[in-house]
Amino acid sequence: MRILQALPLVFSAALLVAQGPPGGPAGGRGGAPAAPAAIDFSGMWTGNMQEDNMERGAGPELVDYAGFPINEAGRLWALSYDPSRLTSQFHQCDGYVAPYSVRSIGNTRVWEERDPKLQKLIAIHWYSQTFEGHRVIWMDGRPHPPAYAPHTWMGFSTGTFVGNALRVETSHIKQGWLRRNGLPESDQATLVEFFVRHGDHITYTSVINDPVFLTEPSIKTTDFFRQPTDPGGWLFPCDDSEQVTGRAPDQVPNYLFGKHPFLEEHANKYKLPVLAALGGPETLYGDFEAKIKTATVAEARAKTLPAAGPSPTSRAADPDPKDGEIHVLALRDNVYLLVGDGGNVVVQTGEEGPFVVDTGAGKLTDKILAAIQRLSNKPIRMIANTSFHPAYTGGNEKLKNAGSDPSVVGTFLSLSAPGAGSTASIISHENVVPRMNGSFNTPATSPGSWPIDTYIGERHRNFHNGDSIELFHPPNAITDGDSLVHFRRADVLVAGDVFTTTQYPFIDVANGGTVQGEINALNMILSRTVYEHSGEGGTIVVPGRGYVCDEHEVVEYRDMVAIVRDRVKAMIAEGASLPQVKAARVTADYDTRYGANTGPWTTEMFVEAVYNTLKKK
Amino acid sequence: MRRALFVTATCGLVIFACSLWGQGPPAGFRPAAAGRGNAPFDLTGYWIGQVTEDWRYRMTAAPKGDVGGIPVNAEGRRVAAAWDAAKDESSEDACKAYGAGGILRMPGRLHITWEADDTLKVESEAGSQTRLLSFGAPRGQGNDWQGISIASWDRPAAALTGFSIGRGGAPGSSLKVVTTKAKPGYLARNGVPYGANAAFTEYYDLLQVPGGDTLLTVTVEVVDPQYLSQPYWYSVHFKKQADSAGWNPRPCAKGGQ
Repeated sequence: MRILQALPLVFSAALLVAQGPPGGPAGGRGGAPAAPAAIDFSGMWTGNMQEDNMERGAGPELVDYAGFPINEAGRLWALSYDPSRLTSQFHQCDGYVAPYSVRSIGNTRVWEERDPKLQKLIAIHWYSQTFEGHRVIWMDGRPHPPAYAPHTWMGFSTGTFVGNALRVETSHIKQGWLRRNGLPESDQATLVEFFVRHGDHITYTSVINDPVFLTEPSIKTTDFFRQPTDPGGWLFPCDDSEQVTGRAPDQVPNYLFGKHPFLEEHANKYKLPVLAALGGPETLYGDFEAKIKTATVAEARAKTLPAAGPSPTSRAADPDPKDGEIHVLALRDNVYLLVGDGGNVVVQTGEEGPFVVDTGAGKLTDKILAAIQRLSNKPIRMIANTSFHPAYTGGNEKLKNAGSDPSVVGTFLSLSAPGAGSTASIISHENVVPRMNGSFNTPATSPGSWPIDTYIGERHRNFHNGDSIELFHPPNAITDGDSLVHFRRADVLVAGDVFTTTQYPFIDVANGGTVQGEINALNMILSRTVYEHSGEGGTIVVPGRGYVCDEHEVVEYRDMVAIVRDRVKAMIAEGASLPQVKAARVTADYDTRYGANTGPWTTEMFVEAVYNTLKKK
Repeated sequence: MRRALFVTATCGLVIFACSLWGQGPPAGFRPAAAGRGNAPFDLTGYWIGQVTEDWRYRMTAAPKGDVGGIPVNAEGRRVAAAWDAAKDESSEDACKAYGAGGILRMPGRLHITWEADDTLKVESEAGSQTRLLSFGAPRGQGNDWQGISIASWDRPAAALTGFSIGRGGAPGSSLKVVTTKAKPGYLARNGVPYGANAAFTEYYDLLQVPGGDTLLTVTVEVVDPQYLSQPYWYSVHFKKQADSAGWNPRPCAKGGQ
């Protein structure tokens, strides 16, 4: 009985300890400060549109970049943007990137995900009606994915409570808009956000770091109100279709440098200097008020052309771990990505033995083999090469010799290829072999690395491990022997050098590559892809080098190549020489993303390849 | 049995009292005098504003009658449409856009200091204005551009005080400032009005961003029965400066230009 009577006292004492000190300054009465309280953001919210009202509602006007700390590349990219690009089938359903989504019109719902047994906070879900943007903010301390993992509109977010704020860090965001009048945010942007509650109001602060298009972080604040009732509007369907009939698939609406037809429209409408409308870090600060009074149109026009001088180089993160190890990423079903030895390697596993696409540069082949053997206890059956380039064929011989192909043992193939079946079979387009055996003035590689099963024409088919595997040949793209490999059931498309996220396309003119062939090859990829929603997800596209993609990255890359082609073509039509084209910096808006001034594939080499193949026609 | 009931009831009271103590008094009842001593963060220093939203309304005077997203009522729209920049230039009204309702949206720097333990002083480059945010007795009588500002440290509080179990950490705080009795002025440089009875509630928050920068965000709610049809909310931000570099107070620009 006495014990029972004492329980409440014990309980009250426990409460004292549990609840900590009374309100007042953070830190309390000494001792280690407790972790900041989890703040509840659950509920339905609506963005307050009282600031940037027109931009966030009806939409911004063209050439209105004031208040954005953009660099030259960002400004030129935006000035090249013709809004007719939205009529392209592949842009009609483009979603918004995370920070733009939060500022968009529409309803928002927030809910917590907790461990059902321990009630620990696992994640906070932030759902925006516009483009059905569903963000998952992981609160359980998990790390961000590696650099070779896919990017999404919403990116990958982790959160912590700091003071009275939910602080969120986001990486792996797709390329999208800083403002939807063409002002770009690159796929290299990272985001830090703060959500602070003031009663039934949230103040949201976004800090965008974009090394490609910004000179300093772009910071904005936005307000939300709690909705007491369900507004009932949560969906945002989109279904693309052809809106401009008869337009060639390689036509990407764009304005040439210095030729934006509406350059002064916004500025004149609001009696602003064009220089202000062109943005830049100086337009953020009060000192710019004085400049508004003296700015000239000539100053502004000078900013619509690339500055003279050397091209900047890529500021993108290297997606290759470069740690001497092979890293495995599960893609879908039984298909895996192996990263770490130059070109990406893809492996499909199953009862019939691994089907391998490309074999890396040959420096880490033993580790590639070990990784494959961890994924499958069967010998490698088939190897497909997307190209003859050494970054994709370097491990051919070792991987081939580690495998076997019982399907050709004792067949007629063994008549032309003695020993066939005792190793894995290598498949490629027929033009790969002469590039590897020295017939076409390229250095010969070891005979053991040459494909034995080649195809001509545009398509080669295999049914392997329960999946339909198709090889497509885009003529004269990077070389005259490229293949795209599509695992149809898994819906994983391996692009080889035709598509990378790390460099300008390596158009190998000496070995049959052309810029038009490259654009056609990228469109060939797009003819095979299907997105899941808002232009993302669906078909997985594995680039020859770089991070795992879907069709959105291919579209942006295709647009880039087509736009550069248009610029070079226009200069050729005006009689420009190669040095003049190079001096014009026709890639100025892409150099901070893809540019290189040293190494095996520089910006100048790319421009030269474009120029030479167009000039040939 | 009676003894048991007595002990239980006593303990219940102790629990209730302890839980009240644990949660602390409601924000509105907290002693306001110790503003500086209770400060959960340091607002003092030089801050440079970044104009990244509503740019053409903040960096310049937008065309007459363009009220943007400000929820003016019919009277507010009529007054905004009748704005006479020339009249402002020729009268004492040159500072109408620099009053309590508009000053934070003006481009430029702030300089924040403790004028006294219970008073924060906020000086602005724009219009050379000074605001006194008092944690104690109100400073001044009002009827000037900046009015009377009452400050408090504001932290999320439980909706109900009483019995609770758990060990949530201490939440952080905002600085809350309520300003009234300002002279009528402009919410935007192009003459979008607020009246003498407008009330401005501001929340000041500090945020640490990557690279070592500190941000000051200020969220403002404007309630004005005379010219607004609903509350007008906006939020602005400033970056901390290491020193006074660039500090250059300037007079109110005539006509808001």
